[in-house]
Amino acid sequence: MGLRLRFLLPLALLLTGILVYPLVFAGWISVHDYQLTRLSDIRFTGAENFTDTFRNPNFWNALGNTLIFVLGAVSLELVLGLALALLVQRLDRARHLARSLLLAPMFITPIAVGLLFRFLLNAEIGVIPFLLRGVGLSIDWFGPQLALFSLILIDTWQWTPFMFLMFLAGLESLPRSPFEAAEVDGASRWSQFLHLTLPLLRPVVLVALIIRSLDAFKVFEYVFAITRGGPGTSTETIQYLIYQTGFRFYRLGEAAAMAFVLVAVTLVLVFLLYTVLRRS
Amino acid sequence: MNRRPSRAARLLTELGVTLALVLVLFPFVWILATSLKPAELVADPGRWVFAPTLDHWREVLLRTEVPRNILNSLIVGLCTVGIALLVGCPAAYALSRSRRSGPLRFSILSAEMMPPAILILPFFLLFYRLGLIDSLAGVVVTHLTLVVPVVTWFLIGFFDAVPRELEEQARIDGCSVFGAFFRILLPTIRPGLGAAAVFGFVLSWNDLFYALILTGGESRTLPVAIAGFWTFRGIEMGKMAVAILLAVVPVLTLSFFVQKHLVRGLGGGAVKM
Repeated sequence: MGLRLRFLLPLALLLTGILVYPLVFAGWISVHDYQLTRLSDIRFTGAENFTDTFRNPNFWNALGNTLIFVLGAVSLELVLGLALALLVQRLDRARHLARSLLLAPMFITPIAVGLLFRFLLNAEIGVIPFLLRGVGLSIDWFGPQLALFSLILIDTWQWTPFMFLMFLAGLESLPRSPFEAAEVDGASRWSQFLHLTLPLLRPVVLVALIIRSLDAFKVFEYVFAITRGGPGTSTETIQYLIYQTGFRFYRLGEAAAMAFVLVAVTLVLVFLLYTVLRRS
Repeated sequence: MNRRPSRAARLLTELGVTLALVLVLFPFVWILATSLKPAELVADPGRWVFAPTLDHWREVLLRTEVPRNILNSLIVGLCTVGIALLVGCPAAYALSRSRRSGPLRFSILSAEMMPPAILILPFFLLFYRLGLIDSLAGVVVTHLTLVVPVVTWFLIGFFDAVPRELEEQARIDGCSVFGAFFRILLPTIRPGLGAAAVFGFVLSWNDLFYALILTGGESRTLPVAIAGFWTFRGIEMGKMAVAILLAVVPVLTLSFFVQKHLVRGLGGGAVKM
């Protein structure tokens, strides 16, 4: 056996055990009527769980909510992260301190972030509505209209630092000479940014966008901490719906089918993102 | 770039960064204040001046399960990271030194993408049959699915940055392949190992989804315990603030040591993909 193989073998075995085997098992679950309350009576039902999933309005609602959440949060984080990186890069003093402090949110357990903002934004006892009332604004952050948007803002608070970190590193590793040449040609700051900085940052943008969107698809903690899917089902995300279906209603077969559809949707989107950003 | 930024531009920059800092730091200040507020004032958003009390801290540390939850989270995190490094390190080295490793690198990345929602179903049934529900061992296994791919991905990036000449020289000097790996390469990428370990630990320490479903009672981890503070009663909110601080302070402290290595790690094996 080759040396390389011997170095790879432990990882291959472990990943087979903790990823491949569970995936196959999940596939098996998804084609059975598999309910935790009736473990002695598990029947093969073929594609029924999948057709039920496609006919389930709650599933489409949750998928829609998740897509809005991912698009909203990730694009906000991208823009704010880039702006913040550009600002901090220009800072003359305390740059390292500012960077360290600005990164803090991304290391906190998301359930804590969720609970924090649940209290900070609460209409009666929250500090933020209290301060806003001081200037005559009354906003119901977790009402039916705004709840999903509020969750997007919370995600933005926690994960803009990630984009900021990636962009800061990208900016610091930009080559000098194209900028010097542009300077000699008399290009304005703005045109340098548009025609040099942005194109040169594209690889960083690609990696950051993929990592961040995949992570945002898994949103669960904020929903669990704050809205539990409500008001109504306006903030029910896909991961939360699967959790409910599998572990509140014990319908594991249906939950598995939903999870597979989620994986398919995620893969398609990542593939699209990858080709679009690679090509241009 | 020899154009000096104008005074106004510098002022605007500093203003923007200060605003961002206020937005980022405000929740931390609030949670610290809440943990020190007397219970009857916690639900009063207008009260900023009060006589601080350590009641909530005493209550949480002496009369709740939170110390136990912290210990659980610590055990799970350390076991997970230990196994991940043991398995991920040699594999990352092999991947870094293979010529056509693109597909393999991609499969590591796609392992990272797997949503927990799909893996928890088989794991739950498996642990149910094996009697591993409410045990830390089950949580470790599920956390490995999060941590192993990330740690391996991190380490590939750090191995890529080590020139091949280094180990070739060691081989010429009479080292075996294993000798070169342990005595030359691992010490060289020590910062990378530290960063990967810390990042993996944070992932495990912060996880709610798996632990919520797989643990209960004695085996609950810290995030599960924090999720239990769901009421608006003042006395509970004070305790929640303490529990959150206990979860946040250790990882923030750790993160300061590895921040500068994070970027290479996250970019990871992407350079040659």
